[in-house]
Amino acid sequence: MKKLLCLLLAMTMLFSLVACGDNGDTPVVSGDSGNEGENAPVGGEVIPVDPAKSYIYKTSVSTLATNWNPHVYQTADDAVPLDYTTDSFYTLIFNDANHPVEGKETFDGYVTVPSMAAEMPVDITESVKAEHPEFKIPDSATSGYAWSIKLRDDLKWDDGTPIVAGDFVESIKRVLDPTKLNYRAADVYDGSYAIVNAKEYGLAGNAVFTSFDAAGTTYEEWIAAGHTDDEVAVDMNGFWGVTSADGKTYGVITDDTMVRDPAVDEGQPEDYVSAKYLWDNYLGPNGAYAGTGYDLAYAGTVTYPYEDGYSFDNVGIYAPSDTELVCVFRNAVDGFYLTNMALGVISNQLVKVDLYDSLLKETETASGTVWSSTYNTSVDTTASFGPYKMSDYQLDKSMHFVKNDNWAGWNYDWINYVDPTDGNTYQMYQTTEIDIQVVTEPATSKQMFLAGQQMTYGLQAEDFDQYRTSEFYYATPAETVFFLLFNGYEKVINDREAAADFDAATTDYQVQMLESFRRACAVSIDRELMAATVSPARSGGYAFLGNTYIYDPETCAYYRDTDQAKMALVDFYSINLDDYNGDLDAAVDSITGYDPETAKEKFTEAYNEAIEKGYVTDNDGDGKSDQTVTMIYAMSSEMSDFYRKTLDFLNTSLNEGAAGTGFEGKIAIVASAPVGNAWSDNIRNGLMDTQLAGWSGSTLDPFGMADTWTRKDAAYWGNWWDASTFDMTVNIDGKDLTMSIRDYAECLNGNTKTVDGVDYNFGYGQVDVETRLDILAEIERQMLTSYNCVPILQDGGGSLLSQQVYYVVEDYNPMLGRGGISYMKYNYDETEWADYVASQGGTLQY
Amino acid sequence: MIKYALQRTFYMLIVFLIITLMCFVLIRMLPQPILPPEDPHTQVIELRREALGYNEPYLVQFALFAKNVITKFDWGLSEKLYFGQDVWKIFIGKLPASMVVNLYSIILSIPIGIAFGIFAALKKNTWIDYTLSTLTMVVISVPSFVYAFLIQYIFCYKLGWFPFLVKSGTDWLSWPMFVSMVPAVMSLSFGVIAGFTRTTRAELTEVLTSEFMLLARTKGLTKTQATVRHALKNCFVVIVPGIFGEFIGILGGSLIIERIFSIPGVGGLTLNAINGLDYNIFILTTCFYTAIGLAASLVVDISYGFIDPRIRMGSKK
Repeated sequence: MKKLLCLLLAMTMLFSLVACGDNGDTPVVSGDSGNEGENAPVGGEVIPVDPAKSYIYKTSVSTLATNWNPHVYQTADDAVPLDYTTDSFYTLIFNDANHPVEGKETFDGYVTVPSMAAEMPVDITESVKAEHPEFKIPDSATSGYAWSIKLRDDLKWDDGTPIVAGDFVESIKRVLDPTKLNYRAADVYDGSYAIVNAKEYGLAGNAVFTSFDAAGTTYEEWIAAGHTDDEVAVDMNGFWGVTSADGKTYGVITDDTMVRDPAVDEGQPEDYVSAKYLWDNYLGPNGAYAGTGYDLAYAGTVTYPYEDGYSFDNVGIYAPSDTELVCVFRNAVDGFYLTNMALGVISNQLVKVDLYDSLLKETETASGTVWSSTYNTSVDTTASFGPYKMSDYQLDKSMHFVKNDNWAGWNYDWINYVDPTDGNTYQMYQTTEIDIQVVTEPATSKQMFLAGQQMTYGLQAEDFDQYRTSEFYYATPAETVFFLLFNGYEKVINDREAAADFDAATTDYQVQMLESFRRACAVSIDRELMAATVSPARSGGYAFLGNTYIYDPETCAYYRDTDQAKMALVDFYSINLDDYNGDLDAAVDSITGYDPETAKEKFTEAYNEAIEKGYVTDNDGDGKSDQTVTMIYAMSSEMSDFYRKTLDFLNTSLNEGAAGTGFEGKIAIVASAPVGNAWSDNIRNGLMDTQLAGWSGSTLDPFGMADTWTRKDAAYWGNWWDASTFDMTVNIDGKDLTMSIRDYAECLNGNTKTVDGVDYNFGYGQVDVETRLDILAEIERQMLTSYNCVPILQDGGGSLLSQQVYYVVEDYNPMLGRGGISYMKYNYDETEWADYVASQGGTLQY
Repeated sequence: MIKYALQRTFYMLIVFLIITLMCFVLIRMLPQPILPPEDPHTQVIELRREALGYNEPYLVQFALFAKNVITKFDWGLSEKLYFGQDVWKIFIGKLPASMVVNLYSIILSIPIGIAFGIFAALKKNTWIDYTLSTLTMVVISVPSFVYAFLIQYIFCYKLGWFPFLVKSGTDWLSWPMFVSMVPAVMSLSFGVIAGFTRTTRAELTEVLTSEFMLLARTKGLTKTQATVRHALKNCFVVIVPGIFGEFIGILGGSLIIERIFSIPGVGGLTLNAINGLDYNIFILTTCFYTAIGLAASLVVDISYGFIDPRIRMGSKK
């Protein structure tokens, strides 16, 4: 009722605004002073937060951060404190009434606004190209490489020390320092948003070994290209289980220093080996393994691509003044990707230099020295420049944050927003304190939530029946689609069947290679029922790309909402659009992927095909396969409730689908022994057959996923399905263009391919987005049609939100969620909440 | 006795050295997780691993480790679980939480356990004995985490008498900390109480039927006098080493109980170090608990001689 009242109030406010003639068509960006007069805040005066009231956000984690040093942290757990204690040059905020976006309802999209930056970045590519040849900006480039960021002059650390542009430069210098070997250095020197020359500095003096396979060359080609034997090495550790004389895993093939092989008794042959010995006797042109593939996998190039002592002055970041920072990138970047991605990588590295340097420690090791730091490992060693600062931390127990009064953000002009629920203007960050406790047991977490001591509770599978309909339940979609994989590695499958312990009379691994069998499996599985049975937070998956992929981050446009994406599914699932009067949405909504009748047809077809090919037999003439079609499910961990339910459901579904066919009761998905992270290698190498697997990440880059599906070293099916051997045709500008699927994927990601003498590049900014969507949708359709896998489940989660708080927006946004801590609003302060919980008998009803 | 103790100490050092070396090498022999070749961080990880000397021969690494420990008491830095932090400081920082909870537990449970045992023995073959014995068997048979969940559900959730989690902070001996530890202490105590009840009952029952007890009674001692002066003293030959063991166990944390009540102790540290391949934490905890275990066995063996004068260590026939 309270929310309904708020909504009515908001609508009243909105109509009032419209009546007042505030058109709000133009996106307004904070710092864009020219618009401020025309777009005065529409929510009225800011309603102040009562300083006497306490609003504590109480949450829990299963693993507490132990090192949130931005240069070295490796896990999401370790990054948690950074969410509260850091800021960025630019920030995404919801499109409230003060920051409208054309074509979007308020809080249905977002806008980028300056935070630590005083204004939007300025492209200075031309001038930097002229003044700084060391940055190697291409002659043809006129924009996108060099950017000037004007910083605010009131930036401070939590202790009041000013933050100036030079601090960012010094921070980048420290993260890249080649002697420190910082994990996050790779964020700065590699990838799409690398700073120019950062890699040269960050890896200065380090040799790089690359196998011939990975380098895409051979020994003969490498030498023919002008290299010497000093630039060829053997992977001694991988091939022979020893390390080279200088302690490296590889040894240059001219090095004949013998090293002891502990696996061989002293005095026996090969008790000592050298890189040269291994090369001469095994991996070289005259070696025993020449031409076997081992010579390409375990020998390769060794290069020193980055000169020792490379100067940081050549790295593309400098500060002309205390309030101006210049960043030069290796690749051109602009728009959303510049402000929210590329520059985010730089602001993420900011450290308080004097504190940072004082905490560095050099340690002697068996091969020299190594540097470590205790920066950001305790309250005393943590420096904040975000809305909160750490006030208490106990290792593996808890951490506590309070508001950082020295945060410049309290003066940002977007810090006040118009609440869509009541139309009033509030300051963000109503939360006064954040308390994070380690709670590892879901049962404890649930009880604490119901007792009013936690803000959220992530539902477990057994909770969904009870809480799915609660008004406090929030479903959160995730980007991953889980596929049921099939093994198509014929050579390996045949080898497995040829093994001495294989029982050919009762078992078959080959049938899963048949497309008819895979199609039969695909239509035998009721995806929604499976989701409800094995993982209620998830839903049925029908496509390669899930519901959260955004193809245009500037406008928050979802790929699955495009006509191209919808048509790909309609085509693949053979939906007749006429049945839905041409309504694409209705057609897509009708897809279930479940068709028991077709399943029987396809299983029958697969059976006949399998008999014909000799994969299975019917020696007893009962019309059924003598062998059980067996697929080994690659277990990444011990058998769990999820695995058990998954295997049970799949086996039941497939055998029900095959009822009345030659495969009736003859299909078995069998769990392997737990193989940990090696499950994916086992799948890729054909040693195991199936998994419910997918890819996560890249929410803002669905086009990049096309590269993953079609790249041999990335796709699960890369060893037996080569996307470069399958053609597809897309109508480009009214003309059909045929290329391989792989070539299209490469073009979609910025590479140029030549067809009939014409160069094609469909990368970001190269062609209109509709063309890119056409190509992506066709690649997705082709991938579905390949039946290397079948999409089964769309990932997601479900949680309950405490009655103490509410989200200002109900719908989940992949970029901003439901607003997080910055937009969280409180129904009760701590005192009121304690009274409320007590009035409910200490246990709340959800 | 002194010669025996010195001899045992010497053997203990040799065993300690062998165990340390074996563990040092074995943890390094565990396969490293597979790193995705396309991830740019992979290169940094490999370079760092090489800089850490992990590709050097094991004995070279062990020699440096031994030198640092012996000359500087430097156990190295954590590379995975607590990146860059001194493993000794981490371990010592986490030890008090486990020790305090365990200490409260044994202070509570040993007297109760022994008292129940005595009571059951004195009331042998009565309904009291049967009830206590049955309860003891039930409690021993059920894992402690089951009690933990039940106690948390009843006393923390339903009744609201105690907080769900142990309080944050390092005021280990404060009243609020004690109150917050009560559910964990109760969870740990059930098993210990049952164990001591069973042992005490069994030993005392046997001693009470001994001939010297009959002699004591015929000399005119009351049943209480005979029990306290003679029976209990004899049965403590078995009970005292158990008490020693419990006190030594103070230094080890309970993985499950510490997880359930969020106790920032050492329980699970070794296991996490193995799973995370954090060599320095693993070797420190291994050395620590090996040393404690070996020392404890020596102390317990020697203690027999003090408790029961009939037992003499190291004397020749």
